[in-house]
Amino acid sequence: MAKPSIPSQGPADAQLIPADSELEAHLPTKRMELNLGPSHPAMHGTVRMRVELDGETIARADPEIGFLHRGFQKSCENVTWTQCLPYTDRLNYVSALMNNFGFLNAVEKLIGLEIPDRAKFIRTIGSEIHRISDHLTCVGAIGLELGGMSAFLYCIEARELLVDRVTELTGARLTTTFGRVGGLNRDLPAGWLESVLKTLEKVEALTAEVETLLTNNRIFVDRMKGTGLITAQDALDFGFTGPCLRACGINYDVRKTKPYWIYDRINFDVPIARNGDNFDRYLMRIEEIKQSSRIVHQAIELIKPGPVIVDDWRISLPPKPEVYGTIEGVMAHFKLIMEGIQVPAGEIYDSTEAANGELGWYLVSDGSGRPYKVHVRAPGFAILSGISRMVEGRLLGDLIPTFDTINMIGGEVEQ
Amino acid sequence: MSEKDGKGALEGQGKPVPGAPTNAPGSTGVEPPPPGPQKAPPKNPGFVTCTIDGKEVAARPGTNMIEAALRAGSDIPYYCYHPRLSIAANCRMCLVEVSSSPKLVPACQTPLSEGLAVKTNTGAVKDSQRSVLEFILLNHPVDCAICDQAGECKLQDYYARYDFMPARAGGPKILKEKRKVLGPMVVLDQERCILCTRCVRFMSEVAKEPQLGMFGRGSAERIDIFPGAELDSNYSGNTVDICPVGALLNRDFRFRARAWFLSEAPSICTGCSRGCNIFVDFFGQETHRYRPRENEQVNKSWMCDQGRLSYKYVNKERVHTPQLGRGSDAREATGAEALAFAARKLKAFFQRPELAVLASPVASNEDLLACLAFARDALGAKAVYVGGRPEGQADELLMTADKNPNRTGLTWIAGGLGLKLQPFSNLLEGLKNGSLQAVYAIGAELPVDIASTTDALKKADLLVVQATNHGPLTALADALLPACTHVEGEGSFANVDRIIQRFRPAYPPIGESQPHWAWASHLFRELGLTDAYGSARDVFRKLAVEVKELSNFDWDKAAPPAQPVPGLQPAPAGADGRPPGYREWGTPRVRGT
Repeated sequence: MAKPSIPSQGPADAQLIPADSELEAHLPTKRMELNLGPSHPAMHGTVRMRVELDGETIARADPEIGFLHRGFQKSCENVTWTQCLPYTDRLNYVSALMNNFGFLNAVEKLIGLEIPDRAKFIRTIGSEIHRISDHLTCVGAIGLELGGMSAFLYCIEARELLVDRVTELTGARLTTTFGRVGGLNRDLPAGWLESVLKTLEKVEALTAEVETLLTNNRIFVDRMKGTGLITAQDALDFGFTGPCLRACGINYDVRKTKPYWIYDRINFDVPIARNGDNFDRYLMRIEEIKQSSRIVHQAIELIKPGPVIVDDWRISLPPKPEVYGTIEGVMAHFKLIMEGIQVPAGEIYDSTEAANGELGWYLVSDGSGRPYKVHVRAPGFAILSGISRMVEGRLLGDLIPTFDTINMIGGEVEQ
Repeated sequence: MSEKDGKGALEGQGKPVPGAPTNAPGSTGVEPPPPGPQKAPPKNPGFVTCTIDGKEVAARPGTNMIEAALRAGSDIPYYCYHPRLSIAANCRMCLVEVSSSPKLVPACQTPLSEGLAVKTNTGAVKDSQRSVLEFILLNHPVDCAICDQAGECKLQDYYARYDFMPARAGGPKILKEKRKVLGPMVVLDQERCILCTRCVRFMSEVAKEPQLGMFGRGSAERIDIFPGAELDSNYSGNTVDICPVGALLNRDFRFRARAWFLSEAPSICTGCSRGCNIFVDFFGQETHRYRPRENEQVNKSWMCDQGRLSYKYVNKERVHTPQLGRGSDAREATGAEALAFAARKLKAFFQRPELAVLASPVASNEDLLACLAFARDALGAKAVYVGGRPEGQADELLMTADKNPNRTGLTWIAGGLGLKLQPFSNLLEGLKNGSLQAVYAIGAELPVDIASTTDALKKADLLVVQATNHGPLTALADALLPACTHVEGEGSFANVDRIIQRFRPAYPPIGESQPHWAWASHLFRELGLTDAYGSARDVFRKLAVEVKELSNFDWDKAAPPAQPVPGLQPAPAGADGRPPGYREWGTPRVRGT
């Protein structure tokens, strides 16, 4: 479909855009090529966008990735399954816990392993905290890049509180490397759940503040509504998942369609929007923050004491007294560290719902302690590939907000 | 179809038939067996056909069940069984279920019989494996962290595969002698020993020197030497190799390197002319030990202690840089400088009878081919004087008196290239009476003691020496070119039995050393000749045709596989600071070079 130089955006938008006849004159313009990034604060991560401009209109936009490529998949083939875990932190580094748990979940599926209930609860709580954190970052950045510094500060204040909780849980602010195949490497710190509840209270208040600042803000709404549009069909074709897909009206959430951990025991709603524009993607995130908070509250109510990792020395490290005191313990420890978990030969695709959508893992094991193949289906990759469709023919000024709302994370897109 | 039939038969035989008179528990065994059906003829005449884990296996009569099972793809674990030793069946690790017995039987000791159905992975077998391991580990010390065997220990392997359960018994472990020095090579930790008696059987059956024995009974039972005796056999090192656990350890290797940091390369022992097949275990550019590599034709699974310790010359007192000048005038030089000097000086002796070529039978066939071809074509030499290490002791099992790995090769090559072999004494004689004035030496090993040679060698006007190690000859060299050992290069040796054996490189040449053939190649070029070789393979391809004994040898096919399993084998990641996947294969090959 040939696009007009100034696209028609349907009857509702037609009145906003002046008709050709109203313009005084057509200035002949030469097409200009512009590089956005790769090193620019607005290009989250390090991605380069080659934009061809016709005046203020984007004629062509070509995202170029590879500046953050680390060889994640190949690196994984050279280390044990457990040693892959730190690499997964660096995928979506804004919500590392979800990558950790997603990877572990896939490995456990490949082994055919059921993890203890408490571990499922903690994984759910951790994931949802990081989902809130991820969405807050996204919303804050949208505000910031449209000139609203206050929204950003509120979001980052809330995120910082959550980061503190994550630090208490995992020992790291960003690169969590939390969890192990078969459960978790450690239980919750004392009093952690209470402090999470308190934190959530504060986070909800701050989110409400952000909402009042943004959702009904005329400037914000004008910039967001009707920009960065993508149709539901296009979104599906590009392989969108997560909030970006749901913003187009498609009800797809891995937590509902294929419940894992404890999501089938929890009441929560999956927000759906209709228009597939930037504003809807923003609203999705605000709403998902609330739903995640709901999930955490319920999980904290339901969680029971118990083991956090399976008691099988082929999979989990023996407790330290056993390692230091018994030959069985020290040998199991040695074998697990030196050779890794002997995951049975086979292949699997498994996915979880990460902050940006379906985080899928295609794993192949040849029966040794190292993966034969690790492929990760990063949600951001598919979404980034749709950015050209979302901005071409639109104004340059809308590119940055659009780039924000799809929430591209360099780490997972480029692996 | 046939598989289904096999399965059906297996199930029928596996179940004890109710009321079967022969093996049923409680049967008196007095009444004669009822006349059964006529014994069916064997399915594969000349073979015993049985079923192992549902797979039909036809094996020669007398095949061990463990070996037959391996062929069928079933791994039966064992400690005391060794294919080259008698059967002890004392570790009980190989217990399997067979159709002919209601109880589990040791696979190593049970003969295969026609129609026998063997199951190696039933619940009963797994229970038994786990129980056996639990018993073995009952008194095993918590030593992995300080044990040399860790990483290549069958206790660890089998525990991870067949047991993987926590200890159930607490309490103190039985204490035995923790470090008993048995002999010059071997130290014993009786607490780690699982009493499989492989070492005892090896010493009495293979080495034929029964120096080890079992003493005591019950929990006081232990391996030991006989009172007043010492484990001083020349084959004592093999007991360390066959010890499945960390009880017997090599005193030379102990606490020097961790097994998982070492890489291995298939090579040949250069300790004597037997040419035992070995693995060179190395880390970086240092050889840490030799381990025997199986070769039915040469060394079976064994090697002697002297050969085992012969790796030391590969690390110690190596010539690292080219040198020019003799004695106190000696100075380090660049390779180009040394080559130019050597070529200029040697050229002066072209086709003159005063020039002697000294070749060491420690050098490989390729080294000798290239260097002797250089001596013949570029220097006009007519004879070659034989250097090499002096004669030593021989024994009846493997070790020969000739301590040079390639005397056969040298004889063949000199013959093939039309050079006359001269004994070393003639060289000394010639130097003393002045009929010889210059020496081009390939290898600096000398077959006689230092005192008797120095005077004679000092008389030579020119000594151009290619040497791996410093010695009396290198001290007097006018031009010294560093050569690399067999561990750093590739090539072949011909052993005492005229068997040609290939070896592979472990790591790149140390320092500025280069293979002898490479120096010959450089000298060729230096003298303006076109003969030059790019690799040992190249040398062999170009020159072996002149030697009839070597001409039929398939250099490529005879090479042992560079790695035990084909494919990419990453080393343990990062544990030693190397990047994950790093292997010491030298400079990476670049396409198109």
